[in-house]
Amino acid sequence: MRRQLALLGFAVGSALRRTGRTLSLAAALALVTFAFASVLFFTEALRGEFRQGLAALPDLTVQRLVAGRPSLVEESDAAWIAEMPGVTAVRPRVWGYFFVPALAGNFTVVGVDFERDWEQLGGHLTVGPGRLPEPGRSEEAVMGEALARFLGLDLGNAITVPVGSTFQRLELVGVFRSDVALWSADVILANESDARVLLQIPEGAATDLGIWLSTPDEGVVVARKIADRLPGVRIVDRQLMSRTYDLTFDTRGGMMGMMLLPALVAFLVLAWDRLTGVGAGERREIGVLKAVGWRTGDLLLARLWENTILAVGGAGVGIVAAYIHVFWAGAPGLAEVLLGWSSLYPALRVTPAVDGAQLVALLCLVGAPFVAASLVPAWRAATRDPHSLLRGGS
Amino acid sequence: MKPSEPAVHALGLSKRYGAGHTAKTALQEVTVAIPAGEFWAITGPSGSGKTTLLGLLGGMIAPTQGEVRLAGQTITHLRDHHRALIRRNLVGMVFQEFALVSGMSLAENIFLPWVPEGGAGQNDRRRVAGLLDRFGMTPFAGTQVERLSAGERQRGAIIRALAADPPILLLDEPTASLDTANVGLLMTLLLQLRDEGKTLVATTHDLRLANDPRVNRVRRLVDGVLET
Repeated sequence: MRRQLALLGFAVGSALRRTGRTLSLAAALALVTFAFASVLFFTEALRGEFRQGLAALPDLTVQRLVAGRPSLVEESDAAWIAEMPGVTAVRPRVWGYFFVPALAGNFTVVGVDFERDWEQLGGHLTVGPGRLPEPGRSEEAVMGEALARFLGLDLGNAITVPVGSTFQRLELVGVFRSDVALWSADVILANESDARVLLQIPEGAATDLGIWLSTPDEGVVVARKIADRLPGVRIVDRQLMSRTYDLTFDTRGGMMGMMLLPALVAFLVLAWDRLTGVGAGERREIGVLKAVGWRTGDLLLARLWENTILAVGGAGVGIVAAYIHVFWAGAPGLAEVLLGWSSLYPALRVTPAVDGAQLVALLCLVGAPFVAASLVPAWRAATRDPHSLLRGGS
Repeated sequence: MKPSEPAVHALGLSKRYGAGHTAKTALQEVTVAIPAGEFWAITGPSGSGKTTLLGLLGGMIAPTQGEVRLAGQTITHLRDHHRALIRRNLVGMVFQEFALVSGMSLAENIFLPWVPEGGAGQNDRRRVAGLLDRFGMTPFAGTQVERLSAGERQRGAIIRALAADPPILLLDEPTASLDTANVGLLMTLLLQLRDEGKTLVATTHDLRLANDPRVNRVRRLVDGVLET
């Protein structure tokens, strides 16, 4: 232990003596780690957001497709589905995307029967400041705080949105926060009647049917029975959706990772170049150490410590910077690529979620080759006799 | 070591650099036996092989042929690990350009040999403090070596070579960068060490050292061959 501490102390001093080399390598290492860690953090955080979001979704969602396009479902189908064994509740849902050309962005409009549905939503949403729209009273809405901020609206302000050849007014009566940040990013909750006007969904129709089951294992049987009775519908299983989201973010994160691979390779080439070019001063120092009785193993251990400090320091800075970039600054430059489908999402603040195993893997991916690469030139110099090192022989 | 055993013994020592037609012989069949407690000077022109001989005697280079014994112990065929221990404990080497690590203080340089052992012990620290005092270097212990004068660096390098209290001290051109006053001071210190029982071998082409009558013996090396 004393030996390791003494060599560690020497390694720290050695890194400080070669400030230029140390800083350039640490900066390059920090940059590469920052890029990879940002993708990792953001992907993991999004996966966490969606997992939380999925927990509040129905076990099954029935959608109708016409010529491959989503169409509306009949509300009346909810009655016989609710009678099926294993089904605990069925809700016709009115929701949709509302595009506003002036903002070049989509809102997600969700129609809510605040008396009937709030108990279910209330577990995930907190309203304040303000209040919920009064049941049955039109032209009132609550918005996610990210959206209200984006639109610059305060309580009592109203927006007027075009619907066909007319306009629909919505007054902001409350702002809601959610434990799922994505839910509050672009969502407007309005009375179901207002949502029908905005989305042009007639009475008796709905966007889809949400089905809750007594146990998710019933899903396959219930889905098959519905499909038999309603040919042409698509039934989305929550578990299937979970896997789809995972796959989507894995694919996007993986693609970003692939795009960053050249940066990693460039860094390793730089590190190799800087480390293999053991300068005259460094060679002389190794010669001095050997002359005063250091063994090859001592020299390699000191170099291992020095580069481990550099790798951990550089990677640590990169990881902290990535954490700040993703969880404090909202991942500018990255959110657009990984989310990609709404101009509102860059304002999203995701909940910090860090996977320790992935971090260790990242450190191994970036740090380990760097430390290993640094040992080769040190070993080449350390195995030579001190006399030739001191006399400057190459 | 038996009392009759030389402290430094080279037997048929040769060193050749390179191979084939570019090979260069630096030292040829050198045999020399230096008794313990003596101060020898090896003289000769530049390129005669003096530094190579010193490197071989100090276990810094492996010979092409021949054998080196220090205090009765053969070091020629030792592995790197054991030769490092010889360099740390049995022989202290002072290089012509001092071989101090820039960016470190004099004290840090002096304590370098103990770093792989986990740092110097109390006795070692006491001995180093004594050496610093004796060589008048205590005020400079915390000074970065590049801020020291040539004479101060020379003394610092000798302190480091003596720090582990080795019985043998090898010095490569110890007076090369010193003025006459410093040469006198250095000679006094080296002779004191000799009188305390240390064996000293110095390579030099400085007549101020080579002609000093207090040096026990002067041998001349020309073109890698030790003149009789």
